[in-house]
Amino acid sequence: MSDTPQAGPAGPDTQTLTPETAPVAPPSRGRRRKKEGKPASLWTDAWHDLRRRPMFIFSLVLIAILLIMSFWPSLFTSINPLDARTCDLSTARQGPSAGHLFGRDNLGCDVYARTIYGAGNSILIGVSTTIITAVVGGLLGLIAGTRGGLTDTVSSRVTEVFFAIPQILGALLITATFRDKGLGIWIVVIALSVLAWPMTFRIMRAAVITARSQDFVIAARALGASQSRIMFGHLLPNAIAPVIVVSTINLGGFIAAEAALSFLGVGVQSPDISWGLMIADARSRFLEAPLPLVFPAVFLSITVLAFIMMGDAVRDALDPKLR
Amino acid sequence: MRVTKGAQIVAGTALLALAVAACGGGGGTSTGTSGSGGDTPVRMELGEPQNLLVPSNTTESEGAEALAAVFEPLVNYDENKQVVMGAADSIETKDNKVWTIKLKPGYTWHNGEPVVAQNYVDAWNYAANQENAQGAGYFFGRVEGYADLNPGEGKPVTTKEMKGLKAVDDTTLEVTLSAPFSQFKTMLGYTAFYPLPKAAFGSDGKVTNEYGEKPIGQGLFKLDKPYKKGTDQTIDLTVYDKFPGKKPTGWTKLQFKLYNSSETAYNDLQADNVDIHDSLPASAIASAKTALGDRYQDQPDAGIGYIGFPLQYNDEYKDVKVREAISMAIDRKTIAETVFSGTRAPADDFINPAIDGYRQGACTACAYDPGKAKEQYAAAKGPAKLELGYNADGGHKEWIEAVANNLRANLGVEVTVKPFEKFANILDDLDAKKYKGMFRMGWAIDYPSAEDYLTPIFSTGAIKTGSNYAGYSNKTFDETVAKGDQAASPEESLKQYQAADDILIKEMPYIPVYFYRNNSGYSTKVKNVKINLLNQVEWADVEKA
Repeated sequence: MSDTPQAGPAGPDTQTLTPETAPVAPPSRGRRRKKEGKPASLWTDAWHDLRRRPMFIFSLVLIAILLIMSFWPSLFTSINPLDARTCDLSTARQGPSAGHLFGRDNLGCDVYARTIYGAGNSILIGVSTTIITAVVGGLLGLIAGTRGGLTDTVSSRVTEVFFAIPQILGALLITATFRDKGLGIWIVVIALSVLAWPMTFRIMRAAVITARSQDFVIAARALGASQSRIMFGHLLPNAIAPVIVVSTINLGGFIAAEAALSFLGVGVQSPDISWGLMIADARSRFLEAPLPLVFPAVFLSITVLAFIMMGDAVRDALDPKLR
Repeated sequence: MRVTKGAQIVAGTALLALAVAACGGGGGTSTGTSGSGGDTPVRMELGEPQNLLVPSNTTESEGAEALAAVFEPLVNYDENKQVVMGAADSIETKDNKVWTIKLKPGYTWHNGEPVVAQNYVDAWNYAANQENAQGAGYFFGRVEGYADLNPGEGKPVTTKEMKGLKAVDDTTLEVTLSAPFSQFKTMLGYTAFYPLPKAAFGSDGKVTNEYGEKPIGQGLFKLDKPYKKGTDQTIDLTVYDKFPGKKPTGWTKLQFKLYNSSETAYNDLQADNVDIHDSLPASAIASAKTALGDRYQDQPDAGIGYIGFPLQYNDEYKDVKVREAISMAIDRKTIAETVFSGTRAPADDFINPAIDGYRQGACTACAYDPGKAKEQYAAAKGPAKLELGYNADGGHKEWIEAVANNLRANLGVEVTVKPFEKFANILDDLDAKKYKGMFRMGWAIDYPSAEDYLTPIFSTGAIKTGSNYAGYSNKTFDETVAKGDQAASPEESLKQYQAADDILIKEMPYIPVYFYRNNSGYSTKVKNVKINLLNQVEWADVEKA
């Protein structure tokens, strides 16, 4: 999808040398008291750092606007494009006018309203896919990394199989095969998740393996901590940072992938609105009326850019090595 | 790959030879095509045929277009829609019942055998036999003895011949119809009436698959190699030397390029990668006028575009009030003007204006009346959800979306639009009674007669074997059409056909949406491209530019 931080040495390993500073690693009561008032965890550090990055602030604002747009599109436009009565075929392809800032599309529908409403599906699909891949890939990666041995070998081989499938082709295959099952836009989420979880898996697994051999984990084990306590109490908090970074960057990629699938005709289906679909519809008359294609394309680019910028900023903040 | 010139062709051919050698199979045929180096083919856009290339099983436009190049029909049609003789020397009758067809001498099959009257008898008997399940078998329903070959589903067929078909001698064919049919001569230009050579039949008396892949015809072109449906992206043909009719000058090779999207084909046309495109997509029309200049052609066409209902197996559309309401909710005029850039005309009859029998404004429910549509739809309790299927390979997306929007806005229903990858898929799903929604349908005429808008699409007999995809069946309609068929004078038949047309208008088994115009374009490499009334290219007239 996009450039991912290197799996192995990413993030927390510098921290883990001194386990007591590890963010959520359950430290003993005494130590916490001593450190009170002086937050030095990875997360607070990162937040401190992020706040001062213009790129982060900028992308955060953009994303905030996009989120508002996808949840409350009616704040931005009084026209509801899902209502066919707002379209007037006889005004098809008209240029911008007072009530219709971006002009009209091939069917005489308002391009601005459709672009605003298109954000919802794109972001819903992007966010859902990201959550699913982060949870599934992350959990499996955690298990594989912690247990090692056969579990690790088998699951790693399985992910390699998935890696061998080209993402867009695989997603095309899945959506084209199951699109009649009445799953709506979720088929896109499923298709993208099925193909994308191995990436999170690998990163999580690599980070866990690095963390696993750290002294504090060995110490915890020696003290008789249970497997699950080690996994969720020690390993997860120390390995999750790269997963978060990759997920944020991937989110933009998923939105682009959704648009690509919709453009190819297997993603979101009309009458649902999606930027990819709008671009596909406007393509045939691009020379006559370029605006219905340009606006959704610009919104798509900005959204993808915003998430990737945010991911980059988060990576810089969470990965002290790159500073 | 073969469209290279100069030095490149040597390399290309060598590569091809290597590839063939590496595969180790299927050699032979491919080397033959590269023999006449400099002759680049004339390339035409085509969609994938629904079936193998067997005339009697080809009832759609794409396969028919390909076969029209390979076969010479008994009759052709001139610019005034009048019948002119093709492979037939004369066709005569005294009573519209017994028809004597004399064949023109000089026609030979591509394998060298002469064409004899028996070839027609064999082909037509094969087509009519229900055991062979030929899509166009229905067209022989008027020949005496058709019933013997079609005793009904599950019943054995005891004979292999129709009584009414006789080869008097090698050049004379006598056809006796079970009832007088005034339009019979006009019918004979249709694909189903092509003859078949002896070589077409296997030892079991059926047309072989090999033949379907590489049909041997008696027409202007012969196939260079078998066409493997589903894998091949082209159908390659060469002019048949011994064809007695008019041959094209300056070129001998024809290639049909198969496209999934008529937009892609249009882009290729602009880039001179395909030479003739006879079904320009609506979205291309506006730019085609400027981009192609006088290489863009817009001519009247006898076709009709419909929205159909699967009446036979989906009761949701049973109420004619529902169908009328849907029809009234479609703004045909604006669709024709905006979506089709004025290259379609809003339909107001089941008979196209290009054909005698059309009456302007005959279809009252075809007039746009959103208010009445909504009222009537609600009163008739029409379905709250509608599905509208179309084939994505024919440039239909835009107008179907526009119709869907009309229905959403005017009827207040939910409408989903369902694209089928190819026209063949939608037809197959309808044949299998799998698809339950409304569907896009179009009709390009087989022969220029009002009757052709009635019997093949709406008669009871056409449900199983013809193009009656709605499964519409109405006894009065069938009888009225039959009266027209048997009428003594053309005027009288037309009157009956119009009466049958009135029944359709009242019952709305399909909704006529627009009358076609033919929008074609050609590349800078060819000229004098003429599209005939059957939407087929007059190949002999095409010249290289």
